Amino acid sequence: MADNNQIGQTKIGPNYLRVFLTFARNSLVRDMMFRTNFLIESVSSLAWSSMNVGLYLIIFQYATSIGDATGWGKYEFFVFMGTTWIINAIVQAFFMPNIEEFSDLIRTGGLDFAMLKPIDTQFLISLRKVSWSSLANLLLGSVLIGFSISQLATRQGTPWSLPPSVFLLFPMYVLCGVAILYSLMICLAATSVWLGRNQTLYDFWFYITNFSRYPMEIYARGWGIPLFVAFTFLIPVLVVVNVPARLLAQPLAPKANWEWPLALFTLFATVLSVLASRWVFRKALLSYRSASS
Amino acid sequence: MAIISIENLSKSYRVYQKQEGLLAAVRGLWHREYRDVHAVRDVSLSVEQGEFVAFLGPNGAGKTTTLKLLSGVIYPSGGSANVLGYVPWKRENEYRRRFALVMGQKNQLWWDLPAQESFRLHEQIYRIPPEIFRHNLDELADLLAVQKLLGRPVRELSLGERMKMELIAALLHSPEVLFLDEPTIGLDVVAQHNIQRFLKYYQERRKITILLTSHYMKDIAALCKRVVVINDGAIQFDGSLSGIVDQFSSTQILRLQLAEGVSAEGLDRFASVESVELPKVTLRCNRQDVTRMLASILKQYEVADIAVEDPPLEEVIARLYEDHSSGGKYEAKTGEPSK
Repeated sequence: MADNNQIGQTKIGPNYLRVFLTFARNSLVRDMMFRTNFLIESVSSLAWSSMNVGLYLIIFQYATSIGDATGWGKYEFFVFMGTTWIINAIVQAFFMPNIEEFSDLIRTGGLDFAMLKPIDTQFLISLRKVSWSSLANLLLGSVLIGFSISQLATRQGTPWSLPPSVFLLFPMYVLCGVAILYSLMICLAATSVWLGRNQTLYDFWFYITNFSRYPMEIYARGWGIPLFVAFTFLIPVLVVVNVPARLLAQPLAPKANWEWPLALFTLFATVLSVLASRWVFRKALLSYRSASS
Repeated sequence: MAIISIENLSKSYRVYQKQEGLLAAVRGLWHREYRDVHAVRDVSLSVEQGEFVAFLGPNGAGKTTTLKLLSGVIYPSGGSANVLGYVPWKRENEYRRRFALVMGQKNQLWWDLPAQESFRLHEQIYRIPPEIFRHNLDELADLLAVQKLLGRPVRELSLGERMKMELIAALLHSPEVLFLDEPTIGLDVVAQHNIQRFLKYYQERRKITILLTSHYMKDIAALCKRVVVINDGAIQFDGSLSGIVDQFSSTQILRLQLAEGVSAEGLDRFASVESVELPKVTLRCNRQDVTRMLASILKQYEVADIAVEDPPLEEVIARLYEDHSSGGKYEAKTGEPSK
C-alpha cells in the first residue's frame, strides 16, 4: 500500500473555493431531481415579491413619498425594495437553509460529522447547501432596480446621475449587509447549544429583520429614535439595506452630512459582526455535548 | 510508542433533573435541580499501532463518549489523551485528516444524492489527489461489492448497503486510526458478516489501528484480540476475550450423554442441574471442582460422552454488567446525557 499515510501527512489545507463549488453542484443536482418542487419554490417566491410591488403601487397612489421631504419617492423606494430582495435572496440561497439546519444538527448530534472534517467547521456548516431557487428573487430585484433607475434617470427636474464608483460600492455594501445578517443568524442559531432547543429562532429572525425593510428616516421621530439607536448600534440591521440602497437611490440631493459616517460605520459594523459570529460559534462548539447515539 | 494513549480521561455532564408532574414542572422554571452524570470516569488506556480493540459495555457505559472524546467532538472534564501525537479536542486539521469515525446510527451521506456525490465532496474536503481517490474508491467498492450502487440515491439503499457506503466515505482518505461505533447495529446476519469480513481484511492489509464498540459478541469474537470492558464509565477489564471468561466466570458447564437406560436421578448431589433431556444432561459446577466432580460421576454413572465447556461469553458479560450495576458502588446512575 504505497499510498497509505500519504494524504494525512500533507500540510496543505482544503481548497475552500472548490469545496464550495462542490456544495453548489451537489445542491443543484438535488434540486434538479425534484424539479417540480424547484419550480414551485421559485414561482412562489417570485409571486410573493410581485404582490409586494403591487401593494406599494397602491400605497403610492395615495402618497408621493414615504414621509415628508425624505426623498423616498416611488422609484427611490423601489430601488430600496429591490436592494432588500437582492440581499435577502443571497442570504436565503446560501445561508438560511444551512443555519436553520445548524440548530437541528446541534439538537440531534449531527454536528459530530462536521466537526470531524479537516476544514473550518463554521465554513462547512454555513455553506453546505445552496438553495438555488431562492436566487430567483435576486434576478427580480435586479430588474426592479434597473427599471426604477431608468425611471429616475429620465425624470423631470433633477434627473438621477451617479459617479461610476457607485457600481463598485453598491455590490460591496450589499455583501456587507449579507455578512451582517449572516452573523446575526449564526449567533441566534448557536444559542441552541445552550438552550437545547430554539424554535423561536425564525420568529425572532423575522421580527428583527423586519426593521431593516424600510428607509431609516421613518425612525426619525419620537419612539422611533430608541429603535433607531438599538438597530443601528446594538444589532446593526438598519444599515443592511439602507446603506447600499441610499448609494443607489440617492434620496437626498445634496447628500446629508451623516451619509458618509454612516457608510464608514457600516464597514466597521460588518467586521465586528463577523468577528462576533466567529466568537459565538467557537463558544458554542466548546459547549456542544453531542446527542447520544 | 503507543498510537493512542489516554490517561485518567473523564467526562461529566450537568443535567437538569426533571421532576414528574405539572406542579414540579412549573417549579422547574425558576428552581432547577441538577445532577452530575459521569459518562466517562478516570479511563486510562494505551493502544499500539495496528491493534484492533473492542469496547464492550452495556448501553450508557461510556463507550461512545470515549470515542467522541478521542474524535475531538466533545471536550473532556479531566485527564488527557493523545492520538497520533495530537490532542484530539484541539481539532487540528492535520489530526482530522488522519482518522475517521463511523457511527452505525447516524449517517453523513447526502440523503437524496447518490453516494458518489458525497464521496466527491470528501475528495475536496480532504484534498485527496484524484488518482489516489480513484484507486481507493475502486478498491473499497470492490471489496464491499457496491460498485453498481454508487450512482443510486442513498435513500434508496438498504440499511446494510448504506452502512457500506458510510464505511467507504470514512476510508477514502486512508485514515490511520479508525473509530467504529456499532457499525453493524440493526443489520441482518449476512450483512453483519460481510462488514466483519471487510473490516478484518482491510485492517490486516492496511495495518491501521481500530477501536470498535459493539453489542454483538460475534463482531468482537471475529475481529478483536483485545477487549476492553467498560461499565459505568470506568474500565472493568482489559485483555483477551477468553481472559474475560477466566477472570469473571467461576463456573464451568458439563455436558453428559448418559448411556442408554441410565437415569439422571441423583446427579444434583454433585452439581446444579441445568437441564435434563435424556440421554443428555447439562450440569454446572465451580471451576475448581470440575475434576473431582467428573471422577465421582464417572464412578457412579455409565456415561457415553462427556464435554466440559466455559459458559457462553454473553452470559459471562451479562453477569459482569449486572454485578456491577447492582453493587450500588456509584450513587449517580450513569447514562447518556438526557436531552
